[in-house]
Amino acid sequence: MTPDPGELSAALAGQGYFADEGLCTAIHLALRLGRPLLLEGEPGVGKTEVAAVLSRVTGLELIRLQCFEGLDSGQALYEWDYPKQLLQVRVAESRGQEVGDLYREEFLLRRPLLRAVRAERGAVLLIDEIDRADSEFEAFLLEFLGDFQITIPELGTVRAGTPPIVVLTSNRTRELHDALKRRCLYHWIAFPEPDREREILRASVPGLEERAADGLVRAVQRVRRLPLLKRPGIAESVEWARGALALAEGGSPWPVALRRALGLLIKDEEDTRLLLGHAEELFTDA
Amino acid sequence: MPDPSAGPVPAGPAAAGRAPAGPAPIGPVPAGPEPAGPAAVGPAGPAGLAADHLWGFLAALRGAGLPAAPAKRADLLRVIAESPPPGMAALYWYARITLLQDVSDLPAFDRVFDAWFRRAAPGEPPIREEDERAPAPGGPGADHPPSHEVRPGDGIEASTLSTYGTRDFGRTGERGRAIMRALEAAWPAALPATRSRRRRPARSGDRLDVRHAWRRAHRHDGEIIELRHLDRPPRPRRLLILVDVSGSLRQHTPDLLRVAHTALRAAPARTEVFTFGTRLTRITAALAHPYADQALRSVSALVTDADGGTAIGAALEGFLANTRFAALARGALVIVLSDGLERGDPAPMVRATARLSRLGHRLVWWSPLACSPTYRPATRAMSAQLPSLDHLGGVRDLATALEEVHRLPAVLSGPRRTAARHWSAQHPMGATR
Repeated sequence: MTPDPGELSAALAGQGYFADEGLCTAIHLALRLGRPLLLEGEPGVGKTEVAAVLSRVTGLELIRLQCFEGLDSGQALYEWDYPKQLLQVRVAESRGQEVGDLYREEFLLRRPLLRAVRAERGAVLLIDEIDRADSEFEAFLLEFLGDFQITIPELGTVRAGTPPIVVLTSNRTRELHDALKRRCLYHWIAFPEPDREREILRASVPGLEERAADGLVRAVQRVRRLPLLKRPGIAESVEWARGALALAEGGSPWPVALRRALGLLIKDEEDTRLLLGHAEELFTDA
Repeated sequence: MPDPSAGPVPAGPAAAGRAPAGPAPIGPVPAGPEPAGPAAVGPAGPAGLAADHLWGFLAALRGAGLPAAPAKRADLLRVIAESPPPGMAALYWYARITLLQDVSDLPAFDRVFDAWFRRAAPGEPPIREEDERAPAPGGPGADHPPSHEVRPGDGIEASTLSTYGTRDFGRTGERGRAIMRALEAAWPAALPATRSRRRRPARSGDRLDVRHAWRRAHRHDGEIIELRHLDRPPRPRRLLILVDVSGSLRQHTPDLLRVAHTALRAAPARTEVFTFGTRLTRITAALAHPYADQALRSVSALVTDADGGTAIGAALEGFLANTRFAALARGALVIVLSDGLERGDPAPMVRATARLSRLGHRLVWWSPLACSPTYRPATRAMSAQLPSLDHLGGVRDLATALEEVHRLPAVLSGPRRTAARHWSAQHPMGATR
């Protein structure tokens, strides 16, 4: 039975991932309808983490396919193990045997998508940063995403016994094909609300005082409103809190520690300058 | 899976998923009215009404330009039928997650949803500020006023604004056509290439093509007779052309657009063209017509800010703020056709140029002013951004453009950001020689 959004939220929180109602509903629907879930959002809002946490919650294997330009079917679906086939021919020859069928499962190299189809108990498949792959690659994905099957000319069609849970992520550097989007459920992960961000900090930075966490979250929320080249995500604010905490434990007063650890929050020279220009209003009550 | 129509509440017979039937009895009139189907034959009562209302909502979405594929609508009906949403918020998320395909459509989606389901409680938008501020390329996000929205062929907007600003760019002369042919022939050799990440079989290369060798070996009883290799063939980089159409360039604009047209003709798959004046317009599609005069006519219908003022800095920043546009500049040869005369504070323009330069493979600036032998990049804006440029050349018409295109290979093979060094040298024609 598919857990409802409330149960999901609790299960995810148990693994240290605090999802809002929208994301929980999205995961719930993806499980219910058995559809791939396409997650978009700015870098650092925890898109990739969704798959990792899902794998821990469900106890299924996490299979990850990192996309890059030039990714092709040989790296994503399957490839025949040519050296092994050649050796097989040689061995058969030297023993004077029949070579037999060379296109059998044992000569097949299973790449992530085929592995996901072949996983007996099912799996969580993460297709990460699909926008980095070129658009030709999306065509390879269509058959897989639509029916969770892969056609191998020499063997026939391989169908998933237990459909995998598929999560795709994209940073929106280019527009994905309509055909791909049509096969997926879509969810945009926004930056977290202050309450949720506090919760995340509390869970991932043990030892951070409540008051300090409050101020830090306020500062991050204000920073995100500046016209930055790259707005800090959750990953960055956690790093910032950790860095500042380490400095504070080393003896720096808290506000100074916050400023000195700023490089963990903002990773662009221009943004840093812009931020320092607004330092007073940003950090007054941090 | 149970049949959706067998589900408990609102789906009713309509959920069987065929005709989007029925006028919605309690909904508002949709913006783009659907042709009214046969009258709803659903049973009277709340379930039938709810189903009709849902169909009305789907039709209104289509009217608002957000058509949902049948499979997506079926998804929504299925989840609603299987487990009726406990509240309005849940219904919102059900509908949004199953139907929405792109975050830039979110504001329109929310408007339709609110109109159909939330009239009683309008003060409860589920969307937080972050959602609105999300990088919504081309979308009416808070960061981009709608006037900067780039929508080729958006006839409604164009026609309301075209009472001023649009301009006839005239016809191409005989001599002009000859130079344009020469330009079109010259572009390919001038465009930079990088090595593709998709390997192709080749006679030589850095990897063995085991697959090919194996297939061939089949014909010779497993004997490998010839080896083939895999190589990374060259792949042309993108060419991004930004054309200034403001009033100060009035006399040059048609020729500058013709130059862009030749580039688009020479490398159609790899070229993107934008114009900027007071707003940013993507004209790649409009300019793609094979005949230059026809292409320029469609551009003039689209570009409503021709001969107006300039805000180069704001236009370039608007370009870069859109992540999808900024991605076009990444690793590309970026050519800006502009005089660089920024009226106001030059800081935004200098910042934007620096970022363009970092994003792109090379940044080339072609200014009509630089054709004059006495020109010096001495205005505050130009001198401040010179260190970001790889080349500053003079282009005021087709002939000078041809010269500059011939000069591109040298710019591409040379070190980066050398424009300042060239122009600080005392030669009168420093950078253009």
